[in-house]
Amino acid sequence: MDQTAFIHLVNPFKDKIYRVAKRLLISEDEAKDATQEILLRLWTRRSQMKQYRSVEAFAMTMTKNYCYDSLKAKRNNNLRIVHSNYEDHSRNTGRQIEASNEVEWVYKLMKKLPEQQQLILQLRDVEQFDNSEIAAMLEMNETAVRVALSRARKTIREALIKKQNYGIQ
Amino acid sequence: MESNKVEQLLEAYFEGATTLAQEKQLRTYFTSDDVAPHLESYRDLFTAFAFASKETYDQPIHLPKQKKPMLRWISGVAAAALLVIGIITQMNNQPPIETNTYVGTLPQEEGILKTKQALGLMGKMFSESTAQLGAVNEYNKTTSNFFKQ
Repeated sequence: MDQTAFIHLVNPFKDKIYRVAKRLLISEDEAKDATQEILLRLWTRRSQMKQYRSVEAFAMTMTKNYCYDSLKAKRNNNLRIVHSNYEDHSRNTGRQIEASNEVEWVYKLMKKLPEQQQLILQLRDVEQFDNSEIAAMLEMNETAVRVALSRARKTIREALIKKQNYGIQ
Repeated sequence: MESNKVEQLLEAYFEGATTLAQEKQLRTYFTSDDVAPHLESYRDLFTAFAFASKETYDQPIHLPKQKKPMLRWISGVAAAALLVIGIITQMNNQPPIETNTYVGTLPQEEGILKTKQALGLMGKMFSESTAQLGAVNEYNKTTSNFFKQ
């Protein structure tokens, strides 16, 4: 497989890799780096790609693993945690206006969910994969996917209702 | 879509019991302009999903250049081409054996004569040159006086 064929192959889902990475990781830059890295890994494994039923699903599994690893590495690195705390603080005070944007607010709610729920919600409600596909990507069973999905959605609903009541009362 | 049907779908949605098609219906409803007022709070959620799905990765994809296989391929072809060129020029340069010899053009006897002449000349020259080697013998005689064996 040459480069043109490869790019042609990954083009339909490179945006999905980026969006999933962006949902899980902190910044846009990190998500871009992650996407580049995942595409590179796919490129080096292009000879094995025929083994997988769906290259897209394989790419999603890779994205999940990459993001989990990168988040874990960050948690283990104390210096980075101190630094990102500092960043978060400045962001909260500096971007009050942007936070009023309702859509941004939903993304912030999603960020507060456990990683797995974030990922499942993203794959289902944004990327529109069905539960069996998600189960295969995340190496889980379908029931567990459905339960996690329902939990994630309900957590967000609670926050939405709370916000609405806060506006009324 | 009627709002009570939307409510039913929403209920199923939060239980994780909707199909992808039903979820699409919900997204279409909540991103449209007429959302029932009491369902307004869900609008943000579905708008956010719709927004998120439109994000694209606009960076160029950097892949390592495929140098090695290409070079190997080119060098292989180059080596083969050189070999072929070499063989062809070699074949062209080689003097055609039959046209340059006398045997082909002159009568056989004359060829034999010429060969005999040439051999005779060579023999003569040999004997002339060996005659001069007598001087070396003189040298051997004188040195034997000094180096006794």
